Amino acid sequence: MDLQQKLNEIFCEVFDDDDISITRESTANDIDGWDSLSHVNLIVAIEAKFNIRFNQKELLTFKNVGDLLKCIESKI
Amino acid sequence: MKIINEQYNIGHICTHQICELGLSDKPAFHWISSHQEKTVYNFRDLDFASNRFANALQSLGFKAGEILFTFLPKTPEQFFSFLGALKLQVICGTLFSNFGDDALLDRLGDAKAKGIVTKKSFLTKIKRISHHLPSLKYIIVTDINEHQSDYILSYQALMREASDYFVTPITPADTPSVLHYTSGSTGKPKGVLHAHRSILHQSRTAAEVLNLSNADIFWCTADQGWVTGTSYGIIGPWSLGITQVHYGGGYDAKLWFDLLQNEGVTIWYSAPTALRMLMREDAKLYKEYDLSALTHIFSVGEPLNPEVINWARSTLGKDIYDTWFQTETGGIMITNRPGLEIRPGSMGTPMDGIEPAIIADNGELLDNNKQGNLCIKIGWPSMFVTYLNNESAYNSKIKNGYYYTGDTAVRDDYGYYWFKGRSDDVINTAGHLISPFEVESALLEIEEIAESGVIGAPDELLYEKIVAFVHLHKQFNWSKELEIKVRLHVSNRASSIATPQEIIIIESIPKNKSGKIMRRVLKSRYLGQDAGDLSTLED
Repeated sequence: MDLQQKLNEIFCEVFDDDDISITRESTANDIDGWDSLSHVNLIVAIEAKFNIRFNQKELLTFKNVGDLLKCIESKI
Repeated sequence: MKIINEQYNIGHICTHQICELGLSDKPAFHWISSHQEKTVYNFRDLDFASNRFANALQSLGFKAGEILFTFLPKTPEQFFSFLGALKLQVICGTLFSNFGDDALLDRLGDAKAKGIVTKKSFLTKIKRISHHLPSLKYIIVTDINEHQSDYILSYQALMREASDYFVTPITPADTPSVLHYTSGSTGKPKGVLHAHRSILHQSRTAAEVLNLSNADIFWCTADQGWVTGTSYGIIGPWSLGITQVHYGGGYDAKLWFDLLQNEGVTIWYSAPTALRMLMREDAKLYKEYDLSALTHIFSVGEPLNPEVINWARSTLGKDIYDTWFQTETGGIMITNRPGLEIRPGSMGTPMDGIEPAIIADNGELLDNNKQGNLCIKIGWPSMFVTYLNNESAYNSKIKNGYYYTGDTAVRDDYGYYWFKGRSDDVINTAGHLISPFEVESALLEIEEIAESGVIGAPDELLYEKIVAFVHLHKQFNWSKELEIKVRLHVSNRASSIATPQEIIIIESIPKNKSGKIMRRVLKSRYLGQDAGDLSTLED
């Protein structure tokens, strides 16, 4: 399973929707329920599943799934 | 807004009556999708689309007094469904799109809803609980092209088959209309039922407080799951034929200011949490914008701290007027407004015809500068009718001709009211009232958790944040994995808004001798304060 597929699974779990299919261009506007509160759940879940930590500055640069993937790739 | 021929129907007044005034071609709303695509709907479009929806419901056998919910993010279908249901005298309940299974089941089950309008991405949640909902006959899905079964229907197919024309039955003032569920400190959420007469007050306050008039472009950022989203995102402005802006995306400072400038918004109604988020942005951002069209900014949902008012004055060159009302009041009761000197931090003064009082727990009417229960003399037009299926809860809120709001406040010598807090344990986070009981119940469904107690703690951004105290069963230890499990469980069972911002593991939850969680003790412990009288604490 590649990184994007693994991340997709986390999205499905966090947003409680098995039909989610992320792309590198996906943003909060493409996924129902992705708001500032559920974003915290998403970040906590990604950190735990990949065993990584994001710093505050990195969190502010995520504009889409591509940014998120790039940052995860750099840490694993 | 005039009542013509005793027709109080909200759906009719907000659409057909406006068209009959010669405003058919006037934009009713500029719809800006989450991807910033713009569509303009005029009042004729709004009238016809809501007519089609009313006809569609009628063809499905919906009758006056039956209940339909919308469970949608902000979309045009939200408005058409809401107004169409009301035209048919079907009661329309609105649900936040971030509700989880338990929150949905509590509301749909209590209301014995006959139908729900939703999106495909929310179907899984509804299907998971549908076997507990024998009254639910139809799930109407906005983003599928064809009916899936007799139960799961396509909104688009229904609308294609329905006529543009519908004659709204004459609707007496007391006909039930809108249903919003609200949280208390104990028990399940209560269904606050309104009547079509509420439009009198919602329309009046839209004109007299929000200062809406014919040429205005109005943007109310509230979700339709919230009473502000229906009272002032739909009913108040459209009853006056006002053009609105509705945006389908979430918070984004730059996008919001693009919208304010590019759509020529003249009056903006938002919430303190959003305004505080804007306050945290680099002030340089705002210098790029021409907001000369924007005349007034209003706020609702939580107390507006003076810092935000000062920020708006220095950064935007505008005042922000804080307004106060509740789901039960249906419309603005106490408010700051243009022409009234702002006393930063105060709720403002009562609307004409609204009679608040500060009342002690023993029923005594209190003088100025004394803190007590904030109450409103009953009988205002937008007052709720009842709590659905819960007359005893309604009766407990009405005493000696006053509605007890659950807020505590002080009135100063100048007639301004000042919010002091809640008289119960309800948590106000980002303008949403959250029941600690609901969060505690969701937490207890997790097998690792033995006990839980939930409080609201002060927060600079959200006004209050949710803090959960958790006692684990002996054989379990706290871990990152368990934290995720807890977060996702609460988020997916209750709602993302109800997810605790802090989770604190403790050895036991303080309870009184009859087993009631002593949230007061938890709160004192969290704030490092004296917990006061502990004589009732369990050994």
